[in-house]
Amino acid sequence: MDHKWSMVVDLDRCTGCEACVVACRAENNVPTAGEDEAARGRVIHWIRVERYWEGEFPNPRVRFRPVLCQQCDAAPCEPVCPTYASYHTPEGLNAQIYNRCIGTRYCGNACPYTVRYFNFFNPVWDKPLHLQLNPDVSIRQVGIMEKCTFCVQRIKAAEIQAKAEKRDLIEGEFTTACAQACPPKALVFGDLNDPQSEVSRLNRSNRATKLLEEVGTRPSVTYLERGTWRGEKT
Amino acid sequence: MDRRDFIKISAIAGTTAALDGCGQPEHQLIRFVPEEDLVPGVAAWKPGVCAHCSAGCGLLVRVMPGEAEVVRGNKVGLIQMGLAKKLEGNPGHPVNRGKLCPRGQAGVQSLYHPDRIRGPLKRSGARGSGSFEEIGWDEALGTLVSHLTTLRKGDGASSLAFLIGPMRSQRRALIERFLRAFGAPPPVTSELFDDAVLRRANALSFGHTQLPTFDLGRVNYLVSFGSDFLGTWNSPASQAIGYGEMRQGHSGRRAKLVQIEPRMSLTGASADEWIPCRLGYEGVLALGIARELLAKFPEAKTLAAGRLLAGWSDGLPDYAPASIERLTGVPAMTVARLASEIAENVPALSLISGAPLAGTNGLFNALSVNALNALVGALTPTGEPDVLQFTPNAPLAPDFAAATAESPGCFSAVEALVREILLDQPHAPQVLLLYGTNPVFAMPPQSQVRAALEKVPFIASFDGILDDSSALADLILPDHSPLESWVDQIPESGTTVETVSLAPPAVYPLHDTRAMPGVLLEVAHRLGGEVADALPWKTFDEMLKAAYAPLMKAGGSIAATSEDDFWEKMQSQGGWWGQADPEAAQPAVGPRRRAKRGKAVSTPAPHAPLAFQPPEFDGSETDFPFHLLPFATQAFGDGTLAHLPWMQELPDPLTTAMWGSWVEINPRTAEARGIRQGDLIELTSPQGSLRAPALLTPGIAPDVIAMPVGQGHENYGRYASHRGANPISILSPKKEAETGALAWAATRVRIARVGEGKLVLFAGGMSRFPEEKGLR
Amino acid sequence: MVMNRDDIARLNEDLLRPLFRTSGRFYWAALILALIVIVALAAWGYQLWAGFGVAGLNRPVYWAFYITNFVFWIGISHAGTLISAILRLANARWRRPVTRCAEVITVFALMIGASFPVIHLGRPWLAFWLFPYPSERRIWPNFRSPLVWDFFAITTYLTGSTTFLLLPIIPDWALVRDKAKGWRRKLYSVLALGWRGTPRQWSRLETAMHIMAVAIIPVAVSVHTIVSWDFAMAPVPMWHSTVFGPYFVAGAIFSGIAALILAMAILRKVLHLEDYLTPLHFDNLGKLLLMMSLFWLYFIVAERLTVWYGNETSEMAVYWPTQRGPFAPLYWTMIGCNFLVPFIILSIKQLRTVAGTVVASSTIVVGMWIERFLIIVPPLERKYLPFAWGTYHPRPVEIIITAGTFAAMALLYLLFVKFVPIISIWELKAGVRQESVVPIPASLLRAPDLIESPSPSGLTRGPAGFSREVS
Repeated sequence: MDHKWSMVVDLDRCTGCEACVVACRAENNVPTAGEDEAARGRVIHWIRVERYWEGEFPNPRVRFRPVLCQQCDAAPCEPVCPTYASYHTPEGLNAQIYNRCIGTRYCGNACPYTVRYFNFFNPVWDKPLHLQLNPDVSIRQVGIMEKCTFCVQRIKAAEIQAKAEKRDLIEGEFTTACAQACPPKALVFGDLNDPQSEVSRLNRSNRATKLLEEVGTRPSVTYLERGTWRGEKT
Repeated sequence: MDRRDFIKISAIAGTTAALDGCGQPEHQLIRFVPEEDLVPGVAAWKPGVCAHCSAGCGLLVRVMPGEAEVVRGNKVGLIQMGLAKKLEGNPGHPVNRGKLCPRGQAGVQSLYHPDRIRGPLKRSGARGSGSFEEIGWDEALGTLVSHLTTLRKGDGASSLAFLIGPMRSQRRALIERFLRAFGAPPPVTSELFDDAVLRRANALSFGHTQLPTFDLGRVNYLVSFGSDFLGTWNSPASQAIGYGEMRQGHSGRRAKLVQIEPRMSLTGASADEWIPCRLGYEGVLALGIARELLAKFPEAKTLAAGRLLAGWSDGLPDYAPASIERLTGVPAMTVARLASEIAENVPALSLISGAPLAGTNGLFNALSVNALNALVGALTPTGEPDVLQFTPNAPLAPDFAAATAESPGCFSAVEALVREILLDQPHAPQVLLLYGTNPVFAMPPQSQVRAALEKVPFIASFDGILDDSSALADLILPDHSPLESWVDQIPESGTTVETVSLAPPAVYPLHDTRAMPGVLLEVAHRLGGEVADALPWKTFDEMLKAAYAPLMKAGGSIAATSEDDFWEKMQSQGGWWGQADPEAAQPAVGPRRRAKRGKAVSTPAPHAPLAFQPPEFDGSETDFPFHLLPFATQAFGDGTLAHLPWMQELPDPLTTAMWGSWVEINPRTAEARGIRQGDLIELTSPQGSLRAPALLTPGIAPDVIAMPVGQGHENYGRYASHRGANPISILSPKKEAETGALAWAATRVRIARVGEGKLVLFAGGMSRFPEEKGLR
Repeated sequence: MVMNRDDIARLNEDLLRPLFRTSGRFYWAALILALIVIVALAAWGYQLWAGFGVAGLNRPVYWAFYITNFVFWIGISHAGTLISAILRLANARWRRPVTRCAEVITVFALMIGASFPVIHLGRPWLAFWLFPYPSERRIWPNFRSPLVWDFFAITTYLTGSTTFLLLPIIPDWALVRDKAKGWRRKLYSVLALGWRGTPRQWSRLETAMHIMAVAIIPVAVSVHTIVSWDFAMAPVPMWHSTVFGPYFVAGAIFSGIAALILAMAILRKVLHLEDYLTPLHFDNLGKLLLMMSLFWLYFIVAERLTVWYGNETSEMAVYWPTQRGPFAPLYWTMIGCNFLVPFIILSIKQLRTVAGTVVASSTIVVGMWIERFLIIVPPLERKYLPFAWGTYHPRPVEIIITAGTFAAMALLYLLFVKFVPIISIWELKAGVRQESVVPIPASLLRAPDLIESPSPSGLTRGPAGFSREVS
């Protein structure tokens, strides 16, 4: 059976705690930029928790929205890449083939979600911090783009394991690093082609929306809008 | 000897040879040190215990073989060994159930921090100069033992002091035991954001000297008085799991979260209603709500938890809505509405922690919220399990129960210690041991911790990274990182079952460090006599086994045939808990045998009813017009994780600030003073002043200035040293009147623009989207 | 006007002087310009060595100065070939002294412009992956990518415009060959490609020029359209616009003419070509510039008005900062440079002098650079999700490399003038002949007279071979 990997972000559950952010760094060898580079706007977070203020004191409101690569079906980043480094896999993932990337950064401009990150320098890990690096994920050299992969290394590992055991993948047998860490279970990852999966169930929620749907990207990430108490306007 | 063993032995021999030849890098060889359970390229998941706060979350450590430069016997060499790659929550653990907060996940960086102390150090320059020379463990242990022996010879055993950080583990039991046998006073805990006030209040109200556990999944209405329970307080992972359930765990029902605080915390950001309340008047607001409820349910006037407060039995006549509005700034109508919403939406719960307890009247605020809880609990139909519970302690032998002993009001204990030293009182500490705490950084300057430490003749520190306090030490005996050691932790809350988190080392040590308990056992052994007798174990794991193997009799999560079997299983499970099924241990379906609020607790109040006292602040309102509110951050917790680069680069969720300090100011306040985003601000309190960039945020009351804790270290590794400013350095040493805890929210400040500052924000653009369109 | 032998001698003398006589000023100018270019190259080397981060780019502003320079120089390149081709086809008589100095701008501006897609790459050493070459990986470039279209458009345009430039130089090089001695003679013998001025050669040259002139126009239009599509194809607010194709082409011609006027003015002054590049030329080009300025205004109004009227949130987030936000000073400078100043100067006949058109052209060159910058950077700074917005500040590397491109242009031009007669001598002569009201003396029709060189056999007919022109 073909898979259609998808994520659901329940904004009503999300507390903005950023456990996903650190989980992603640890899993995917995301480099640390340091203060100066951070000040220049070059920090890399494959998943980030966006924060929006509304209103003024004494009635300020905050909305959090974790934003990661939306793994669009009609991804604007893909056609613009001259070298096919930004590539659509048969399973519907937007893969970034680091070796093919020559660093035009066109994909980063074309992406409406600004979730593609450029390596302005070769990444450095002060020894022995490099011992933490995940051997399943390549590190990215200067001059290339990187972004959320939906933890493709975990998907592949699970698929290989399932194949070795001559069985189908089982719902919940693996998940992405961010969804794994998320304490309030705001992030749910799974196969949209499986009508029984949790993501399929949540996608049918009447709170389900897509981010920047009007751009026509057909994202694979679904957001469940925040609820309100007894339907009151907050 | 089979082929496998032969390979192993020759490999080990080869390693030794390799390490011998390591004088020059080109002689370094890579050798494979076989580890039974590791296959190259395949990850092994080993249990662990998170040591980044006291919640005691269970970990799974992803371990894979790799090449590491290690120190063995003063020699550096490259070997292949199991390396920790990633930390995830242990799905079987009843506290965090597979989940982990951002700070916990950074535990790998504690292990691989480049500035870890790699072996024992002896001070070589002047005290505080930070110059140390490397020595061997023999010399290090010998130095400490000789100092201790000298003390004991001259009737000075009681002149040994041990300053520790918060811990509920056998490490603490070991320290207590060591000190008792030595003849020294018990250890003094030093912690900035201690919960002494709440523990005391819970003892008075509910008979539990403990932090509570909440069944958020079943709560319909939650009022949080300044409690950042989703971010940094108590057991955040467990509480965030409950929060998810509270929001979307039940179809058709979604609880309301009301957050009452003058500065929006991470928790406040998720609230359905956010109510700013004057600092120190939270208890008044709670009693205002209670008064409304008491009027409807007069039978609650007899509640024990309520009678701790003056006027309760009379229906709280002093807390009429009008006076509430005058005192707290919260409209009278809001108070009435909250009361009726609570009454209509049981089970309801109130939480209090953080700044409301860190004023001079903190205990009153805590007791008020406890009384409100008891009152609301009484409204809940009987038979329902309570939503506020207390984690029972594992049934440990008395010898080992010291692990969970209540800390004395820690700030006053630290102050007493400082006074002894500075006033040369009899038995003033001659030898001071430091472990897991950084009082020079985390105590207000007027408490004179630095002066005291400078005066103590000999200080030995067990810290693995040089911090502001251990920089003053004469001897450093660096501890393993938690992932390299035997770790245990007895969670104080976050679960409704008795729980012990325990794990053996997940990886071999990288450096020439030694676990603190092992060092203490060795010191005891060398000291001989009663001390050696009191600590009969050769290694710490022997002690842990002695402490926890008897839990076999209590059943719970492990079915074992013998104590050895139990011990093995406990290690592989990452601990022991009183329920076999971790899901069943979730508060959501928790057992009903736990303490009931108010009604179930028979403890009479040994305390005269407490009346409201207005909070006192250091500094006059005219000279210092703003309240200073230091706060724990999502990245650094109470400030102890500032040395980790991941945490430095974690954008603060509400401000998106990274890599530095900032001062949160209401935009109106700033405008009135000509302060713009990023301007350098001088913050002056009666105790001193500091400088940090201004950050304008609508989520703060105009009379409050908030500042994150964690930056401003003089010494804390390359990522944190000399970065930002430390708000504690201008705090007044005011204390909570009843408990002696540090009232860290009782300082007033004034602000002035002094120039251009540097503010590093992750969100580069405007803070607001003009219209929500495009986001929905 | 009748051209007599003296006239021809003077013409040859005037126009060939720079090739044979080199003043100290030339060496100084070349040295200074070369130094600036070397510093710029060193800056690029530093960027390669230290990492791309030494530039001021960030997330979300992934394109800024380098791509601005790319678009700007490709735009400048439209001066030459396009104008020259149109004027040739329209048989505008005054074009003769102008065409070559226009065409050479095209070639050099294209070379400079085309270097920026490489300079701006994260991994420039892999730039050849844009080529569709048979590789062992069996991977073609992604033909859906506008950057690959760029590659084809620019290489085509560069090839075409180089050919278009070189074809009519051949007879002039032959003239130089015939006049020169020593190493120059050897050099120009090679460059002249064996030109003997046979009727057959003239006829072929004429045909080739005509084909090139027709062919280069759609290529030029397509090049800047495709450059505009680098932006218009991406769903970025205020990039994703249908007007970008013609807008960019108009802007390109606009900036190109301005650059041409500047180049002509400098040549006129430095090489004392007052007799050849006359106020008439500046007046004519000034009129053209005025028209393009109005065109440009029309396009920017069409773009801005529709965006403003449409009031789409994501576009307005980009629109307002340029009108009255942080980019407003640049924006209104651009309006002043591209419209107000040129319009006032060029629409008043008395001001449309050499000096006047030079002033207008200078502001236009500046204004058009700002225009490219404002097209590229503000939309990237404020693209959709406000949390991910950012600000861009150029850093020294980018500024030095940008300055280097202007120096490179000047240096290349300087060297070109040293090796090629910057005014097409034979075309000028042909024009003189064509414009004469009296029959041309037979002597003038004889090649030896015209070329004043040892007459190689067969050089019997001069430019009169352009019989179609004569008619």
